[in-house]
Amino acid sequence: MFLYLPYNTFLHRLHPATKLIGLILLLVVTVAFTTPAEQLPGLGFVLGLAVLSRSLSNLRRILPLVVTIMLFSSTTWSLFRRVGVPFWSFGPLSLSRESIQYGLAMGIRLDAMLLSGMVFVSCTKVEEFAFGLRALGLPFPVSFALSLAFRLVPLFFTRIGIVVQAQQSRGLDLQTGHLLQRARKYVPLLVPIFIYAIRDTDLLAMALESKGFGMRGTRTEYLRFPFGWRDAAIIAALLAADVIAWSGR
Amino acid sequence: MREVITMWKYTRMVVLVALTAALYAAVLIPFKLLPLIPGITELRPANVLPVICSLMFGPAAAWGSAFGNLIGDLLGGTSGLGSYFGMLGNFWYGYFPYRAWRTLSSSDPIPWSAGRLARYFIVSLLASLACAVQISWGLDMLGFVPFHILGPLIGLNNFVTASLLGPLLLPILYPRIKRWGLLYTDVMETEDLWGGRLPYLAHLFLWGAVLGGLILGIVISLGVTESQTFTLNLPGGAHWSLSLSDIPRWGTSVGTSLMPLIGLLVVGALLL
Amino acid sequence: MQPLFHIRDLSFTYRHASHPALHGITYTHQAGEFTAIIGATGAGKSTLCRCLNGLIPAFIKGTLSGELTILGERMTGRPVYDVARRVGLVFQDFEAQLFSTNVELEVAFGLENFAVPYEQMRDRVREALGRVGLTGFEGRDPSTLSGGEKQRLAIASILVSRPMILVMDEPTTDLDPIGKRDVFHLARALRQEIQGIILVEHETEHVLTADRLVLMREGRILADERPQELLSDPGLLETNGVRPLQTTVLLRRLGLPTTGLDVDTAFHIIQDAGWRADPAAVARLHQPISNLADHEPVIDVNAVSYQYDAGPAALDAVSLTIRRGEFVAIIGQNGCGKTTLVKQFNGLLRPTKGSIRMLGREASSWSLAELGRRVGYVFQNPDHQIFANTVQEEVAFGPRNFGLPEPEIDARVVEALQVVGLRGREDEDPFSLTKGERQQLAVASVLASDPEILILDEPTTGLDYHGQRSILDLIRRLNQTGRTIIIVTHSMWVVAEYAHRCVMMQRGRIVADGDIRESFKDPARLADLALEAPEAVRLGARLGVPVRSVDELYGCLTR
Repeated sequence: MFLYLPYNTFLHRLHPATKLIGLILLLVVTVAFTTPAEQLPGLGFVLGLAVLSRSLSNLRRILPLVVTIMLFSSTTWSLFRRVGVPFWSFGPLSLSRESIQYGLAMGIRLDAMLLSGMVFVSCTKVEEFAFGLRALGLPFPVSFALSLAFRLVPLFFTRIGIVVQAQQSRGLDLQTGHLLQRARKYVPLLVPIFIYAIRDTDLLAMALESKGFGMRGTRTEYLRFPFGWRDAAIIAALLAADVIAWSGR
Repeated sequence: MREVITMWKYTRMVVLVALTAALYAAVLIPFKLLPLIPGITELRPANVLPVICSLMFGPAAAWGSAFGNLIGDLLGGTSGLGSYFGMLGNFWYGYFPYRAWRTLSSSDPIPWSAGRLARYFIVSLLASLACAVQISWGLDMLGFVPFHILGPLIGLNNFVTASLLGPLLLPILYPRIKRWGLLYTDVMETEDLWGGRLPYLAHLFLWGAVLGGLILGIVISLGVTESQTFTLNLPGGAHWSLSLSDIPRWGTSVGTSLMPLIGLLVVGALLL
Repeated sequence: MQPLFHIRDLSFTYRHASHPALHGITYTHQAGEFTAIIGATGAGKSTLCRCLNGLIPAFIKGTLSGELTILGERMTGRPVYDVARRVGLVFQDFEAQLFSTNVELEVAFGLENFAVPYEQMRDRVREALGRVGLTGFEGRDPSTLSGGEKQRLAIASILVSRPMILVMDEPTTDLDPIGKRDVFHLARALRQEIQGIILVEHETEHVLTADRLVLMREGRILADERPQELLSDPGLLETNGVRPLQTTVLLRRLGLPTTGLDVDTAFHIIQDAGWRADPAAVARLHQPISNLADHEPVIDVNAVSYQYDAGPAALDAVSLTIRRGEFVAIIGQNGCGKTTLVKQFNGLLRPTKGSIRMLGREASSWSLAELGRRVGYVFQNPDHQIFANTVQEEVAFGPRNFGLPEPEIDARVVEALQVVGLRGREDEDPFSLTKGERQQLAVASVLASDPEILILDEPTTGLDYHGQRSILDLIRRLNQTGRTIIIVTHSMWVVAEYAHRCVMMQRGRIVADGDIRESFKDPARLADLALEAPEAVRLGARLGVPVRSVDELYGCLTR
């Protein structure tokens, strides 16, 4: 993945399945709370993980997004949610102490989720992601399609750039025109991008078949990840956190 | 629905899942820069892809759209619990067009005549709304964005993109894909495809689920039903009522009250 | 002795095709042999490769007759994975045969599918990587490798399954000279350990070392001989879409035996027959190829540097002047900055430092649309731009974007199609054209805007000899009608024979720039760029004549 950071921290070394389950358990904790005071420790915990996994640099990259989400989420929920005694209202919009609190809490929740997702991608390679999914029971062809797609994205990115340049140099201008005209202008871009991608289908499929992909029998795995006491401990701790958070609601 | 599973036997279909997903993600990510709602959704011209891919690659497009959306989220830094609903919604977005087209027409899905164009709009509307209801239901339940903002936005964005670009792209792409033998009906053996069951009932369920879900979701989400009881008088003196004010947490009310409709959507999908 | 494998009367017709792609092929391969296959596009080379590893008929549908046996065992009708364990197949397109996110896993992929026990996998992967010279690359993302490295990785990922037979279908077509050299080197070295090697190739000079050379035409084997014999028949090769060795072409024209395949032997044959350079003709060669020194500069690059974000400098203080009517070739390894340089000319990229004057004005004062119209750019792969339903519509796209009135657009489309030889095919689907025709279509679609300068990025890649000649002759005609031509290429005979001037680049800098004769004089400098002058030029040098082509050399010899 683009965002993977090649460190060798405790988090990087976890079993891929642990990372996947852990991420979900962590996300479930963040959904349990509805006030900023309850949410903040969760956010702090995620930031702590970011420090441990040395992924702060990635977090910094999405800082603008994190800030806009915070602002957007807190304003919309504050205005639309009707709780408590409004001290201001206009049509369907109103503001109260409680609604503002709720808005802030939702903003933090969303941010905590984004950041935990970011920590996950910072310390998980694509092949580990796919391995984790297989370890959790996903059939091989499915995990393979997913990881192949990951590999192809940068390639397609480059190709899209070339197609855009090729059509620009033939005078394509996407900036002008009304909606339908603009839509038409996407055709000279989307057609070559699409055709060029799909044209490879048979080649890729042949190359796969040539390496025994069609066998669909028992496979062996080149990668091995030991499932250690750390993995068990992490899952147990997050599970406990989930139970506590949800029973305390 | 069976072909959604049996397709994994075919290497070409597996490759098509990956190619559709990569294409979807690669066209999605640049537009993360133009967010409509930061971190949630953005102006997505890529959204025509699930619909047209669905009409050509069938089940591979359903999986491809789901995976493409997930990859877009992971690489674009917008992942979270919402991504799972995004995946589910996009799965529907790539699933309904080809399933619904089968029930409406036996000809190729190239919008060359008014009749076929109308059918194309119908299937893309169904898929767009199913995607919108599914995702907005999930995200409202998670407390991300109110349903009444997200639902219409996703629905409109999907439908507008699909209606504007699909009729322009399909006449160019479809015949070529057909010539290359990559239509899902050509790649897969007939015994692995599924004929569907009770298509009319399925349509009834699906349209009920998506339209009902959208309207009810907006109404609840706007808070209009506060301390109100919905009563539906059925013929023969029976009546059905739903009191929303009983639901303690406003934040989860869209979630619980739309649950039956989401169930209806799934049942419809299974029957289509 | 039992042959390694045997093909008996094999015919195959693709589903929906009207003609068979293979027609009664019979072929026997003894253990230890290295066979090269040549032939024009559509001769059935790739189809044969796919039959060999079982993709046909198990994966690709069609009608098959005849059979393939390996060590006496019948393979026809078995699933691909069963045949593919014995016959490994490497494809031309290296992007389409790499699936994994790191090098080691890529190699292990086949082993995992074939359920090789974990304990053996690590050793075999290490061994295969070592074999192709990629030790130390284990953790790299394949997308960060160069083309040649990717292709060697693809070969390793096949070798690791220990096939008896290795089939390589044009493995070097998409590679630059260094990549090609490394892959051929590897292919030769593998003869020691693989019992049967089949290499499909269209560059004649690389098939000399094979044991057998098979020439295919329209699905049949036309000739199956020792390379020395087959290559000494330039006429046969040429009529079958294969570029003959220049040495043999010259020998034939001189009426000498065509057995001198390499420059050294050919030189001795010529010398022994009493041929020598004609001083009068040689003197004529010393006149400049084109006298354009007084023409106005159309491109004036002044100390231009360019940097892709955060990367190293792709161009480093490059200066260059190109005059109206010139035919310039830009050569150098992939990643040396050739494409980055020419993209500055039509405004697709703007210099990070320095300045460019285009057609007498600062490049920065041109809008992309204005410049795009006057400086046409034909991209390497025509499929990057073809989108329309008909040839007519495709060619009209540019002029329409540039706002020309409809009647004029029609006239220009007609003219452009006439020039490239696609007149009368206006209503055809561009995607049903051959690769060569699509390339011509791409040129036509740029020509229709009537540019003064035409830039072509590797216009001959992926075309057979006929296709290459026809696009090059087209470019030459365009140059003769006054257009300035700039081509980016790896093909040295193309540079020598068609261009007037050669700009050599290395690591973002211009390392040599001058008349073709001058540029090709110094073998050491070419070798530094992993390039070699074409045989005619080298043979000319031995005879003391600075020629560019067989024609010129022939004109300079006397007896």
